Amino acid sequence: MVEIAAVGIVKRYGGLVANNGVSLQAERGEIHGVMGENGAGKTTLMSILFGLQEPDAGEIRLRDAPVRFRSPIEAMRAGLGMVHQSFKLFGSLTVWENIVYGAEPRRGPFVDRGAARERVAELAERHRLAVDPDARVRDLSVGVRQRIEILKALHRDARILILDEPTAVLTPPERDALFAVLKSLASDGRTVLFVTHKLHEVTAITDRITILRDGRTVVSLRTADTDAGEIVRAMTGRNINVTVEKRQAQPGEALLKSVDVTIASPSGKRVVDGVSLTVRSGEIVGIAGVAGNGQSELVEALVGLRTPDSGRVEICGRDVTGADVATRRTAGLAYIPEDRGAVGSASGATAADNLAMGFHRTAPLASGPFVDPSAFAERARALIRRFAIRIASERADVGTLSGGNLQKIVAARELSHEAPVLIAEQPTRGLDVGATEYIHEQLVAERDNGRAVLLVSAELSEILALSDRVLVMFEGRVLADLPQERADEQSIGLLMAGREAEAG
Amino acid sequence: MSRFSGTLLLGRERLRVRAVALAMGFAALAGAALILASGYDPLSAYAEIARGSLSLAALPDTLNWATPLVGMALAAAIPLRGGMVNLGGDGQLVIGGLIGALAPLFLPGAGAFGAAAGLILAGFGGGLYAALAAWGEVRHGVPMLISSLLLSYPAIGVTSYFARFPLRDVSTGLPQTLMVPSDARLHVLSGPLNVGSVLIATIALVVVFADRRTSGGYELRMRGKNARFAGYGGVRLGRQAVWTMSCSGAIAGLVGAIIVLGSQFRFIDGALVTPAYTWSGLMAALLANGEPVGTIAAALFFAALQTGGFAMQRETSVPRVLTLVLQAIVILFLAMRRGLGRRM
Amino acid sequence: MIQSLFTPFLFQSAAQAITPILLAAVAGVICGRAGVFNLALEGQMLVGAFAAIVGSYFGHSAFAGVAAAMVSATVFSLILGYGATIFRGDPVVIGIGMNLLASGLTAYLLRVIFGVSGTFSDPGVVGLGRITIAGLAGVPLLGWAFARQSAVTWAAWALTALISVVQFRTPVGLRLRGVGEQPEAASTLGIDVVRYRIVAVLVAGALTGLAGAQLSLGAVSVFAEDMSAGRGWIAVVAVMLGRNNPLYAAAACVLFGFADAIGVNLQSHGLPNQLTDMAPYVVTLLALVITHRRRIIGAA
Repeated sequence: MVEIAAVGIVKRYGGLVANNGVSLQAERGEIHGVMGENGAGKTTLMSILFGLQEPDAGEIRLRDAPVRFRSPIEAMRAGLGMVHQSFKLFGSLTVWENIVYGAEPRRGPFVDRGAARERVAELAERHRLAVDPDARVRDLSVGVRQRIEILKALHRDARILILDEPTAVLTPPERDALFAVLKSLASDGRTVLFVTHKLHEVTAITDRITILRDGRTVVSLRTADTDAGEIVRAMTGRNINVTVEKRQAQPGEALLKSVDVTIASPSGKRVVDGVSLTVRSGEIVGIAGVAGNGQSELVEALVGLRTPDSGRVEICGRDVTGADVATRRTAGLAYIPEDRGAVGSASGATAADNLAMGFHRTAPLASGPFVDPSAFAERARALIRRFAIRIASERADVGTLSGGNLQKIVAARELSHEAPVLIAEQPTRGLDVGATEYIHEQLVAERDNGRAVLLVSAELSEILALSDRVLVMFEGRVLADLPQERADEQSIGLLMAGREAEAG
Repeated sequence: MSRFSGTLLLGRERLRVRAVALAMGFAALAGAALILASGYDPLSAYAEIARGSLSLAALPDTLNWATPLVGMALAAAIPLRGGMVNLGGDGQLVIGGLIGALAPLFLPGAGAFGAAAGLILAGFGGGLYAALAAWGEVRHGVPMLISSLLLSYPAIGVTSYFARFPLRDVSTGLPQTLMVPSDARLHVLSGPLNVGSVLIATIALVVVFADRRTSGGYELRMRGKNARFAGYGGVRLGRQAVWTMSCSGAIAGLVGAIIVLGSQFRFIDGALVTPAYTWSGLMAALLANGEPVGTIAAALFFAALQTGGFAMQRETSVPRVLTLVLQAIVILFLAMRRGLGRRM
Repeated sequence: MIQSLFTPFLFQSAAQAITPILLAAVAGVICGRAGVFNLALEGQMLVGAFAAIVGSYFGHSAFAGVAAAMVSATVFSLILGYGATIFRGDPVVIGIGMNLLASGLTAYLLRVIFGVSGTFSDPGVVGLGRITIAGLAGVPLLGWAFARQSAVTWAAWALTALISVVQFRTPVGLRLRGVGEQPEAASTLGIDVVRYRIVAVLVAGALTGLAGAQLSLGAVSVFAEDMSAGRGWIAVVAVMLGRNNPLYAAAACVLFGFADAIGVNLQSHGLPNQLTDMAPYVVTLLALVITHRRRIIGAA
């Protein structure tokens, strides 16, 4: 029987129509996949189901009765629970405090700690989600945090569970554990809505799939009756292969080197553990690994935003260990950071100002200590043309730009340094297909121009498509250095989970 | 024309003018209500403010008051431009003032040399003291917002002690140092105005120019918009913080010396702090979000407001402290309209 | 000299000096836990101090003064409460603005209502009396401290304990902690973040009003312009040092209160008050440097 249905949902954000008459039906006890590319409208639909937003048109039906959720509280009372892509947990509070937050068992005016902890233990046992009720959430791994999110929903007796891209931050074994839990919940009579854009997961676990594209429901399929090709065609409207056209690599001398770099956290744990790597001119080296295994810290140490506790970093043969960012950039480094908004650009400043960073002390933008605003403007206009950035003018505020265009600004600036070494971190996160392809082309072009490119990405398909060599980081160590021919999802997946021996 | 105004009023700052006008209107209304409730007539009070500041007779006084105010406003604006806050202006001010009062007395050499040395050393003193707060944040993680403010108390205490005890002019009964010899005083221009005003005006121009046309100014502006972006782009944030605060404190110290050598001719305990130049200057800087031209305009406006306030008190008996209330209301109003403040 | 320094009187004056700072610090902790950075403690206390004098003078009782102080400071706090939430203003600017408004407004009203400037004292102002507990006078340290204190001092410590219990043991406290740490997460779980923040700021406002009442009615019944004299800033530091925990913040306040009292004591030994008045600020600065040594921010 149909547990939850969305009928003809329409949602507009200004001129953009995120949901254009979307419909979806999930049956009780079913694991229902919701698929689509970035920007297809999946997240909007889920936030409407969960009461975070209200639709402009259409309705939601719960067991065939129409309902209206004006807030997540109403949705939760109706039996819905949601595990968001970015966890909504309180790091300084304990596990049990997080789980009962907002629905605390009471004893008089106080919180009944005993009852709370008991409830948590009982739920954890029943659904096989092992957690320590008294641990502080900030000390816990991502996989455990997700379990807490699920327990939060179960504490409120959620009969319908929505999970938004749950596996984005999990290692393959953690993912398998999650799937086991979901299967058990489904057999318990609960309904699971599983939002993802990953093919192999959908085929592994779902009973049925609804595919969205450009804000519309394209089709609803029974998983057993379909195949990867059909799903992809429905998602994209064309046959897509995530491979990139590129020539064979012609690597030259080593331009970026790290030798035995180690970074320890205050508690002594080695966040980066003796990492030695080399990137040569004319090659793309990709670092694969689930986010949180030391990649960010390693990049910070390479770039100069963090000092390693030991080890050496060399750029173009120069020892830059201990040197600051400015010195490394002079030595020949360009860097596309992970967070284009918080680090890679300055919202509130013009495109001209954003594009000038790093060049503002050299000609033609500067002479001596003085800068020339008209030179800023000219340079910006040239870059905007060359990279086809959609912006009103070089005087416009970059804060108004879409993700893709903002990333183009960052890329345009960093690439125009024409630095021998380029480090790109999650360069296509949150971008649509067109922008992603563009960035990929630029990275390959850099490599063909003899640059050394270090690519760090959580998207395994991107790493596999672009890299000439693949490194896998796990718990601060580089477990393997594989040439492109020997890198495939299975072996990399195992390495990402730390299973060296089995990867072969 | 467009190129000039482009340099004068950077892009988006223009949109803020409307918000400022609204804020002033609101403050005027709130102030009027307060005046009425106190039993006075708002219209005549405001009229006296205008007359007492902008009339030809009053203009020299307004400009004289504007000198330290614009100076302290610039001192506050420079770090604010980069997203940093210097709340220790009072401390830097008195240090500069004391140095300015002592240099001509204790340094060898006569007249103008003593004055020049006083000014320069005052700048150094204020700059070093402000740099201390910056160093505290860079090296020890102590927020300079707090440390700069806390530091001003010891500075005021120590200078006060010196003026009352070891360095006191015992011939007068008051807590003040010896008179600065007349040849070491700042040259008078006309009426109350002296060379100090020219000095501050020059500094104002230099600050505007540096903000628009130097790489240091660019880096500071970018830091104000997004400090992480600046650091990632190659700006040495620690060094920048120390230099910025040094400039800020140096100007504050200089203002102290200008007041001493140009108007009061001795360091008088409390006299530098009582007129609240530091806080009005800070308010002017906040109003303009650290942008130099706006800051100067706001400071001039506040100077007129306060000078007019003296006339208002004289003619209508409305306490002139009201002008500070009006300034604070303007700032709070602007803070509420989502335009003001640093990107936290 | 040490002997003559640690007298019962020192402890008494320390406990008295701590009271306003403690109340302001607890107020700051509540705001901090709610996620509102409160730099206006200085101004809020000043408003409370002035209102206490006005209330006591016209109401002919200390109680009227305290009530007026709490109400006024709470109303004054609406600026921060609404400004930092619904109006999305920068709490730093709002805090500084409020301090300046308080300074100007109290000075203005001092002239308009009482016709004086600088300081105001009048026999018509009823101060907070002392509660003398004879038995405590013999008990060293704590007894010396609390043998003769105003009701507000007792209330301050009681409130500190109460707030601590509420924060860590009740649903309201748990939810408040979440609101400050991750407002988005709290909101998704059905907590009205804005309401919690405004209420927190208002409750904090009442506490600062109480602090102000202690300042102007506690020892000698006097209002002086800007009489909060930096105590609000010391309270801000206490909140920072205490990491938003009322008990740790209280410990910091004890330290600063003693520094203040020792400074006053040294005055009677001949040191000029310009120098001894610096004591609490210097101690505060040192405390900041020492505690932050352990958490140095990365490469310059």
